[in-house]
Amino acid sequence: MSEGDLQRFERVVLPHLDDAYTLARYLLRDEHDAQDVVQEASLRALRYFDGYSGGDARAWLLAIVRNCSLTWRKRRRVDDRTIPFEDAAALPTNEGDAADAAAVQESEQARVQQAIASLPDEFREVIVLREVQDLSYREIADVVGVPIGTVMSRLARARKRLAVLLQIDAREAS
Amino acid sequence: MLCDTCQDALEARLDGELPPEEAREIDRHLAACPACARQFATLGETRRLVSENAMRYTAPDVLKARVRSAVARIGSPPVAAGTGNRFRWWREVAAGLAIAIASSGITFAAANRSAARNSAADELLASHVRSLMPGHLTDVPSTEHHTIKPWFNGRVDLSPAVPNLDKAGFPLVGGRADYVLGRVVPVVVYGRRQHMINVYAWPSSAAGGAPPNDLSRNGYHFITWRSGGIEYWAVSDLNAPELHAFVAMFTAAR
Repeated sequence: MSEGDLQRFERVVLPHLDDAYTLARYLLRDEHDAQDVVQEASLRALRYFDGYSGGDARAWLLAIVRNCSLTWRKRRRVDDRTIPFEDAAALPTNEGDAADAAAVQESEQARVQQAIASLPDEFREVIVLREVQDLSYREIADVVGVPIGTVMSRLARARKRLAVLLQIDAREAS
Repeated sequence: MLCDTCQDALEARLDGELPPEEAREIDRHLAACPACARQFATLGETRRLVSENAMRYTAPDVLKARVRSAVARIGSPPVAAGTGNRFRWWREVAAGLAIAIASSGITFAAANRSAARNSAADELLASHVRSLMPGHLTDVPSTEHHTIKPWFNGRVDLSPAVPNLDKAGFPLVGGRADYVLGRVVPVVVYGRRQHMINVYAWPSSAAGGAPPNDLSRNGYHFITWRSGGIEYWAVSDLNAPELHAFVAMFTAAR
């Protein structure tokens, strides 16, 4: 890799480390795993930087982070089963999460965080890519590697679940 | 428009993914159909609640340093990353921080410092930053020096001083065994408000004592002194005067 490419990589890709880390946190639900995966994903991104065509660098990096997270989960045999909503509150927390939890306490944020954590993986990833990372359907389809129609149906089902979990009632909302 | 058709398009309408003319059609239907409008309101409220409240995390500085250093070393032969090899990655942190220091244009008076002290400071800085990552600070968390001192027996080959400085406002946090400069060394951890002070110790090559000597890098302060054949290094992001006060009390308490 030439010096110019390296500088371009640092300028184009590295500014998105926060987003990469956020996605990994949601997908892996562990801050240490998330850090390791982001480092691995960054190196992989560098190795395949030739293949980056100049589109949205953030979506491109997030796709790599997502793939690395999946590999990581398989390798670590992380229990992929969904955490029931009632139990999500009792998740083992590490220090960082405890600090986060202290900040958000009993608030709306904690409820939303639990609701997202309780979603099955395939719903959680589209919700995070859409609502947290603000990607378009096309970008989500590319990151996840499924047709746009699948993105839409997963998003719809994920939101239905969230609406139930968060007890959103349209009669009040409207 | 049929309600079924409308409902299939509600998500896309909400996410701004519909072409303008279709969006207008949906809006017309919503204005006329309370059932669809209610469903749309539920969706919108769900979306608002989630996107406004979901956590956005910030990558820890130590992770950014790891990534930047790994990227900067790309000229060297590829290595498998993320295998959990702590030894390798704190070296990467050292490299990353060194790069950060070099690229931020900070010049320090390296000329009149010995090379040995600089390499010690590099490694200690990496070790200190690493220790601040969750779960890495202490092997034996304790505020009792009677607990920490015996814990080192059999783990390291010297017995460091572990004075109780609680009353001076430097409570003990714990101890750990760490690996720096090619050896396992005892580290005693003290706290000061939200700051952590790591005190490293290893056998000194020179005999006798030596007064405190300090340097600082990248916002971290280092003070080293010699006492009883042991070389001590205190590392912290605490301000220099307070770290000097700490060392003064540490040495006085022996």
